[in-house]
Amino acid sequence: MTEPPNTATQSFDALYRECARDLYAYVRTLLHDDASAEDATALAFERAYCRRDSFDARRGSQRAWLFGIARNAALDELRRRRRSAPLIADLPDEGAIALDEQAEQSLRRATVRVALDDLPARERELIALKFHGGLTNAELATVLGTSESNAGTRVHRAVTKLREACHAPS
Amino acid sequence: MRRREPLSPEDERELDAIDRALCGEPVDHDLREFEDLVNEVRATAPQMSPALTAQLERIVEHGPETDTAAAPTKPLRSRRWVLMPAFGTVTALVVALVVVLGNADNDDNDPRSSGGDETVSVTKQEAQPNAGGAVAEDRAATPARPQSSTADPATAPATRSSAIAPARERKVETSVLLALTTSKDKVQSTADDVNQTVARFRGIVASSSVNTNDADGGDATFDLRIPTTRLDDALAALAKLGHVSERRQDLQDITASFTSTQDRLDEARAERRGLLKALGNATSQNQIESLRARLRIVRAQLASAKSQLASLQRRADYSRVNVTIRGNAKAEQGGGGSWSPGDAANDALRVLEVIAGVALIALAIAIPLALLGLAILFGKRVARTRRRESALDAT
Repeated sequence: MTEPPNTATQSFDALYRECARDLYAYVRTLLHDDASAEDATALAFERAYCRRDSFDARRGSQRAWLFGIARNAALDELRRRRRSAPLIADLPDEGAIALDEQAEQSLRRATVRVALDDLPARERELIALKFHGGLTNAELATVLGTSESNAGTRVHRAVTKLREACHAPS
Repeated sequence: MRRREPLSPEDERELDAIDRALCGEPVDHDLREFEDLVNEVRATAPQMSPALTAQLERIVEHGPETDTAAAPTKPLRSRRWVLMPAFGTVTALVVALVVVLGNADNDDNDPRSSGGDETVSVTKQEAQPNAGGAVAEDRAATPARPQSSTADPATAPATRSSAIAPARERKVETSVLLALTTSKDKVQSTADDVNQTVARFRGIVASSSVNTNDADGGDATFDLRIPTTRLDDALAALAKLGHVSERRQDLQDITASFTSTQDRLDEARAERRGLLKALGNATSQNQIESLRARLRIVRAQLASAKSQLASLQRRADYSRVNVTIRGNAKAEQGGGGSWSPGDAANDALRVLEVIAGVALIALAIAIPLALLGLAILFGKRVARTRRRESALDAT
């Protein structure tokens, strides 16, 4: 007789399939460094795995819960970095831009990337959570520990800044 | 604190357009710019490396390789304070348990604990062994000053507990006044019990008076002589016959009198021996008459000293105990008799009172500790969140 499948593991596996890429994109945007982002993402999944039984659906979605864990891991990494040496961010992959098939599209994406990188960390985080993470305002509020309306206001302000930065003459 | 302005309807529309674009749903034509922005930002999303993907697959399938993630931030040692409320509660419960058990032991020593606090204390006192020795020891410590301990049964055990061993040389006369109250219909039976108790301890009823009436039951008085060596047991037995309303114990050191009388006796004996010897050697009638006259005086002195010494010895060997019994219409029925269901109910109530008191004390300790622990926990969480948020500002 085969053992019944572990529903918790199945659920966690589904969460991983659904969120892993978005989570990494968010953490990478926040940390500006591939190696740190990979470490923080792996650590977030390890912590989430260990605490998967303590997840409480009444306190928000699983996605928001996972992003909250990842956020703490990323912020801890930022604090560690601040205590040690300043990070030299990975240089943008210029070759990849040049190889893009449409020059205008490549240019526009490069503009967006630069504008995003130039945003203050808080706004950049909001954009990453919203655009990469695909979180709703309610989920954002859960991750940031604020109200839903406040999260919406902050996202709108960050989007406005990003638009302005994208339209600003270089 | 910064005040945030509420979103305008236009802002709400823009946010809604972003959400729609993120879900792949169509967006209003005038808000296509937001859809483009979403697509362009998502197009710039960093991609996971194959190595990270493989690492995450392993984590999801088999869990983390090490236990570091289980305690991700701090070792247990540095988080002991979190257990403070638990420690406090356990400590409080242990204290409560000790108090309850201690109280239970005391109750066990009290064969008739329904007579109220005063009776309980007295009964405890009666349970102390070798109290006569304790008295003697006290006397030895302050031989020149007669001691008198008056009363309060609750404080009496403290003086007795300081005793270690009796001093054989000291002679102490003990007088005890014991006032008992009993229900009005039990004055006679209690008086009979006093007589039986005295006989049991081989004491003497020097005088007694029993007066009964229907109004309050009457009263009885006893002048007893109890062997000092058995005084404590006898007093304990007498105290069980009723509610002890008063107890007084007076101690008189008679060692000096005893010693001087003994000396006089010895001197008289020596003188008599000398006189008898001289009488045997006397040669003249005058001398014989004179010695005989002196011998009569010495014999009288000898008899007097012997009598006095015997009296002093009796005073030391037998303690004087005055017992008064008074009928009381309000006295508890079970006060002097056997242990009854009423006594059991009273004992149970007493135990419950003690437990409730101890529980209250335990709560008084545990609740502030728990609140303190929670406050520290909350404060540390807030501080940690702020430290993390400050990391964002620093970048």
